[in-house]
Amino acid sequence: MRALVIDDSRVMRRIVASTLKGLGFEIAEAGDGRAALDLLEAGERFDLACVDWNMPVMDGLELVQEVRKRRDWRDLTLMMVTTESEQNQIVRALAAGAHEYLIKPFTPDALEAKLDMLGLLPQKELA
Amino acid sequence: MTDTTSTLAQSVVPMAQDLFTAMVDGEPGLLLPMEALEEPITDPLYAWVDIVGPAVSRTLVVTARETADRLARSLLLKEDDEPVTLEDVQDALGEVANVVGGNLKAMMPEGSSLTLPVVEHAEPSASRPADHEQALLWWGGPILIQLWTSTNGEDL
Repeated sequence: MRALVIDDSRVMRRIVASTLKGLGFEIAEAGDGRAALDLLEAGERFDLACVDWNMPVMDGLELVQEVRKRRDWRDLTLMMVTTESEQNQIVRALAAGAHEYLIKPFTPDALEAKLDMLGLLPQKELA
Repeated sequence: MTDTTSTLAQSVVPMAQDLFTAMVDGEPGLLLPMEALEEPITDPLYAWVDIVGPAVSRTLVVTARETADRLARSLLLKEDDEPVTLEDVQDALGEVANVVGGNLKAMMPEGSSLTLPVVEHAEPSASRPADHEQALLWWGGPILIQLWTSTNGEDL
């Protein structure tokens, strides 16, 4: 499984990537939505993208909308990982095409539980 | 103190403690509220985010460089004696302000948005003292969180 971690904070990318690596994911990182789109347009393929909302250049909601316009990226699972905790923001993200929503701060167990719900735990695939 | 400030103020300690428990320390009880700072913070770093929209708010996190270094090491999984760069420290402290301020946004009027974090050696300009401040202690190092709110269009 491959995951793309998109956040303008290197600290936050480290936290998300560290948990995902521990679960068996191969990781790539991007510092904003535009950089993430560049990776996808270059042909990189991922099973999961963890997307921050508030980022410079291109924010996470816009990235989700751009990804959902492309049929060839329809298998990419999108999970917002953000401080945006209002109900209307969660609804906006899910309506735009995000599959799951994780609010910061979160524990590694909370991230793992979301992946389990999405059927994206590599260890469980092997079991 | 306005109702908005009061609501935000009551959430600062639990929000900061949740953040440190979940993402910094991995266990509860290491970030402790204090009545007030015992002495001014030396060699301070300032990190802040603003909430803009129908109402305006600023969350400012202040701590000493030494404490910010420790925070960066913890968040970046570095050893105690491993050096950290100013970029590491700015990123770590900025994310603390971002997570605390971002969660406070849920208590602001609909239509509010959050700015990206700013981290500086200099205090941000403000037209008046903070509406609320909360001193915290983490591994012996003080951390101060200050809040400003404005619901009537006046400058912070």
